[in-house]
Amino acid sequence: MGRLVFGLLMPVVLSLVSSPRSVALAEGDHTSSSADPVSSRDREIQEIKREIRLLQQRVDELEGQNERLWKANTEAKSSSEKFEAATTQQLQTLQGQVDSASSPASFAEAFNRYLGNYRFTLVGGAAGSFIYDRQNNINTFALDLEPIILWRISDRMLFEGTVEANLPSGSSAEYQLPVATLQYFLNDYAELELGIFDQPFGDWYEDQSPFWVNRFITAPLPYGANALVPPTDVGLQLRGGFQWGAMGQVADYTLWTANGPGFSQATCTGNTPPSPLPTCTPEALVGDTLVSVNNIHLNTHTPAFGARFRIYPLPVDSDLGRLELGASTYDGKWLNGFWLNAWGVDFNYFKGNLQTRGEWLQTYRQMPNRIGADNRQGWYIQAGYFLTGLRLPFLPAEVNQLIDKLEPLVRYSGINQRAAVQNEILTTPEIGFNGSPAVFAPHAREIALGLDYWFAPSIVWQNEFDFELPRAGGFYSDTGRAVGATPNDRAFLSQFAVGF
Amino acid sequence: MRAIVSLAILIGALNMSTAARVWARPAESSGDAERRALFLRGAQLWPVYCNTCHNARPGAEFSPAEWSMIMMHMRTQGNLPAKDARAILEYLRSSR
Repeated sequence: MGRLVFGLLMPVVLSLVSSPRSVALAEGDHTSSSADPVSSRDREIQEIKREIRLLQQRVDELEGQNERLWKANTEAKSSSEKFEAATTQQLQTLQGQVDSASSPASFAEAFNRYLGNYRFTLVGGAAGSFIYDRQNNINTFALDLEPIILWRISDRMLFEGTVEANLPSGSSAEYQLPVATLQYFLNDYAELELGIFDQPFGDWYEDQSPFWVNRFITAPLPYGANALVPPTDVGLQLRGGFQWGAMGQVADYTLWTANGPGFSQATCTGNTPPSPLPTCTPEALVGDTLVSVNNIHLNTHTPAFGARFRIYPLPVDSDLGRLELGASTYDGKWLNGFWLNAWGVDFNYFKGNLQTRGEWLQTYRQMPNRIGADNRQGWYIQAGYFLTGLRLPFLPAEVNQLIDKLEPLVRYSGINQRAAVQNEILTTPEIGFNGSPAVFAPHAREIALGLDYWFAPSIVWQNEFDFELPRAGGFYSDTGRAVGATPNDRAFLSQFAVGF
Repeated sequence: MRAIVSLAILIGALNMSTAARVWARPAESSGDAERRALFLRGAQLWPVYCNTCHNARPGAEFSPAEWSMIMMHMRTQGNLPAKDARAILEYLRSSR
């Protein structure tokens, strides 16, 4: 390379060298008469040598610069090749990823992996209500919040905790823990559940009690404020489901053991509420109210046992709708040596816009002191029909759109028992359970009419009219006083409920 | 006490004798064909199983990770067969 540059530069150098010399020679010719020609030639030679040295230096500099440029060019070329190879590889990888992500599900999964694996989530419900009761002249607003915490510990294990917060009458916020369970999936057909759980008896407590799930605002009488079976229990469950026929023809079972039932027994003749301490020994009474949760049961060493079976006889593709048939039993000692035995049957059917469900249950409670058994029966049947798809030609389209989201409802429920405990009658409504104290009558009957407006599948504005129609009297077991059929009552409830 | 011990032995036997995946994320190790079959099954079961108790909620309401937890909860709550619960989960996760 140096030689090449030198070769290129030599003619220039020679021309430079020759030009001054020719000029000098011309000048020499012109001045030869006045100066020494030898010394003049020496000077010229010296000058030429100096210029040659300068040119040599310049050539050296250019050679060095050229060398550096050559190196830089080589490095740049090498980097470019590497970069090109890396880019090609990345493009291939991306193309592979694009090719493999062939469905929205794959994309969702990949995106979810990018976001991280959630193991903790919050669902549940909230409700704000207005309650009017004619008999007690009650006009009140009420609020209730029930968040459900789900924690996925592993693919087999889930923790579920429900915290209930509400504002009862005349008090600040009140908190409860109706459900706190650890669920462990043994296999495809069996699961273990341990903790405080909704009583698996019947269809109500487990499946129908959340605000936005219950089509009505109140519970049907057998599961309401004066329930026949404890709403929750502390214990252990074994449960599961399996397919026995075509798709949708399934059956399931729940077996459980728990602390068992307990009754209030807080009242006795002579007590003077609101004294916090009983003024006489509590005694068992016919018509006692169940206590909700028995965290530590002191009365008996025998836990309660329960079993529930359900069957769905209709296949999904039969176009016959969905039918559920169930049976339950729950048996436990509520006091040393004294049993509460309960059993019930239930059904649920829906097809298209129509949904119906109903239950019948019976309890036998052995009583001490030879005061006779405390037996009770309860039932309800309800139906609802979505007006979705109904088009009334004489109404504007906007009104038809509103009607589309309406669901009229009707429910008939009742309880038979020999007596009620007067001191335990709630004179104020309890949100989600009752709107009128008349439900505590010995032979309570209630007709509820409802009209729900569904903003979304889990957001609903509910309205309910309750007609309390006690059929016959009985007696108050704490006072011994006979009571006739209590006066009929009316209640109106309106509730905005959200499931989140 | 004897009954509780017997129950514990039965549960242990049930757990150990079944190596089937219980709640593995659906079709992670299987192909698109199995996933599509699950999706179609889930699409048929979703309106039927969910509406048995409450209005069926669409897949867009929760993220896929949340659905996996909610479906574990619903499998317990409704005693759903595991295969059907997996199919509904696949449908809900994919129909967003």
